[in-house]
Amino acid sequence: MPDAWVSVSLTSLALLAGLVLLAASVNMFGLSKRWDPSLKHCFVTGGSSGAGLALAKLLAQNGAHVSIVARDQAKLNKALEELEAARQNPQQVFRAYSFSVNTEAGSAAAIEAASEPFDGRCPDAFFLCAGASRPGFFVEQTEESLRTGMEQTYYAQAFTALAASKTMVQQGVKGKIVFCSSILGYFSMVGYSTYSPGKFAIRGLAETLQSEFMLYGIDVHVAFPGTIYSPGYEEENRVKPKVTLKIEETDEGATPEVVAKIILDGVRSGKFHITVDFIGNVFRSSTAGSTERNSYALDWVHGLIGYIALPIWRNSVDSTVLKHREEHEAYLRERGLRS
Amino acid sequence: MFGFSKRWDPHLKHCFATGGSSGAGLAFAKLLAQNGAYVFIVSRDQAKLNKALEELEAARQNSQQVFRAYSFSVNTEAGSAAAIKAASKPFDGRCPDAFSLCAGASRPGFFVEQTEESLRTGMEQTYYAQAFTALVSPMRHRKPWSSKASRLKGKIVFCSSTLGYFSMVGHSTYSPEKFAIRGLAETLQSEFMLYGIEVHVAFPGTIYSPGYSEENRVKPKVTLKIEETDEGATPEVVAKIILDGVRSGKFHITVDFIGNVFRSSTAGSTERNSYALDWVHGLIGYIALPIWRNSVDSTVLKHREEHEVYLRERGLLS
Repeated sequence: MPDAWVSVSLTSLALLAGLVLLAASVNMFGLSKRWDPSLKHCFVTGGSSGAGLALAKLLAQNGAHVSIVARDQAKLNKALEELEAARQNPQQVFRAYSFSVNTEAGSAAAIEAASEPFDGRCPDAFFLCAGASRPGFFVEQTEESLRTGMEQTYYAQAFTALAASKTMVQQGVKGKIVFCSSILGYFSMVGYSTYSPGKFAIRGLAETLQSEFMLYGIDVHVAFPGTIYSPGYEEENRVKPKVTLKIEETDEGATPEVVAKIILDGVRSGKFHITVDFIGNVFRSSTAGSTERNSYALDWVHGLIGYIALPIWRNSVDSTVLKHREEHEAYLRERGLRS
Repeated sequence: MFGFSKRWDPHLKHCFATGGSSGAGLAFAKLLAQNGAYVFIVSRDQAKLNKALEELEAARQNSQQVFRAYSFSVNTEAGSAAAIKAASKPFDGRCPDAFSLCAGASRPGFFVEQTEESLRTGMEQTYYAQAFTALVSPMRHRKPWSSKASRLKGKIVFCSSTLGYFSMVGHSTYSPEKFAIRGLAETLQSEFMLYGIEVHVAFPGTIYSPGYSEENRVKPKVTLKIEETDEGATPEVVAKIILDGVRSGKFHITVDFIGNVFRSSTAGSTERNSYALDWVHGLIGYIALPIWRNSVDSTVLKHREEHEVYLRERGLLS
């Protein structure tokens, strides 16, 4: 039918024109200039283990001053040794601080301590890797466990972002904040009611600040890694519901080092959302909405793949959950959760 | 799937509505009453609750319907549990069939003016107020899925916002929470397939309610400027669209064209209502949203000088 072809052609032309226009406008605000960590002061929370430590070591290898913050002093000491092993030149300053960053006061104190070797000048880049996951069925949660989940995912980063922003604005430092969300900040499923909301919230905060910090020349980045083979992951799998483990059994994860490298590359090249593998790219492209994209052309491809593949994948996730109903009934009965 | 094709009917269903004494929550409660439901509204302000109860009575369809208004603070598990227990009493302890969680408030402002307290308050009012009610709602009391009684499907309706699909300057105490509501709804939509409970989440934009006037009193000028061309809707219009969405089994419920565009453009693996329609909305979004975003960013950048003066006045620059 001629009319339909005309419509399709016009739509495609409009799309092409749009893509060309948008591809041209991708590099704004000097993001095309690559950021160099060399001799920048990088502040890393959750920096004594997992991806946080890998990121800290990578920054050290790239010539940065690195301050890592966590709670466990023993882990911090060990991490500091690993940073020293990555030293590139004698100018670099490596420090490890024991602070609890899930309050504004704790975060502010950590930043103040880290600024001391620099005559009070605050760090140039804040990598907020603090976080933990404790999956489980929603019916087994309590007010306390939901609150703890939010503390461990959202507040662990939000208050450091708050303290860091105030300091950077006060001192006129045009720095960077790098949040760590998760692919479970793009979608969710059974078992993640204590984790996903907080990771979605991290995205919400990053989206707000990416806009708002244009007032200050502060760049915002947010990473969305999937499974990371770290001590935290093993801990998480100990308590994860069987049905969730089943759904995830074909997932491929990555080592902290691989994830850290991709995140640092993304920060260097000015990407707002940073995803670490093909699945991450598909989710990123399929959920972007009005979020600043890195490549409108590439995202079109990933988005198209997602439009077809994600519903198919989702159907199989739903099937697995439905098949689990009987076993789950028995599980509830054993725990006296059935009246 | 799961009988979504059969339209849900509020008639004689036991509906529990938080944030039910004003705004969209009240409009939704009245609409349920007009459709023959039993309605229990919960909020904190007793005076508002009394007035709301009168409005429910005015919407009464038959003498069987039961309307009640309870004053409870639902942002703790205990408060939510007490509210649901009170609402179950007239039914010999049988808990509600449908939960409409409209509790929430917005207090916009610049991030650098926030404190730990203000960020936590935002989470309390907007996320926990809905999460804890969802926590205490029916699972523990529902019959096993294999029994006949379970064919009466329970429902939970969360209230997020278009600011749960995107964000911008001024909404750091609200958007994270609305994104979190989406995250919880996405988790439970999957998990509650274990129990036969259907999850819905609404994403309204601007609603012309008392809450909106309050919100605009404190909203940063630059945010107001960006939003000046936004069209809002009355609570009644929003409530009708949400109820229609719940009836027809839509997971994400958006209330206008902009909402549809955002919904389609951010869906990812989320269950869609119409893959064909979403393709059109998504295409429009792919072209139009970045253009809109560019203008938002421009407005923010132009505001830099004025903002610097603002910060200096408040001693936030050294």
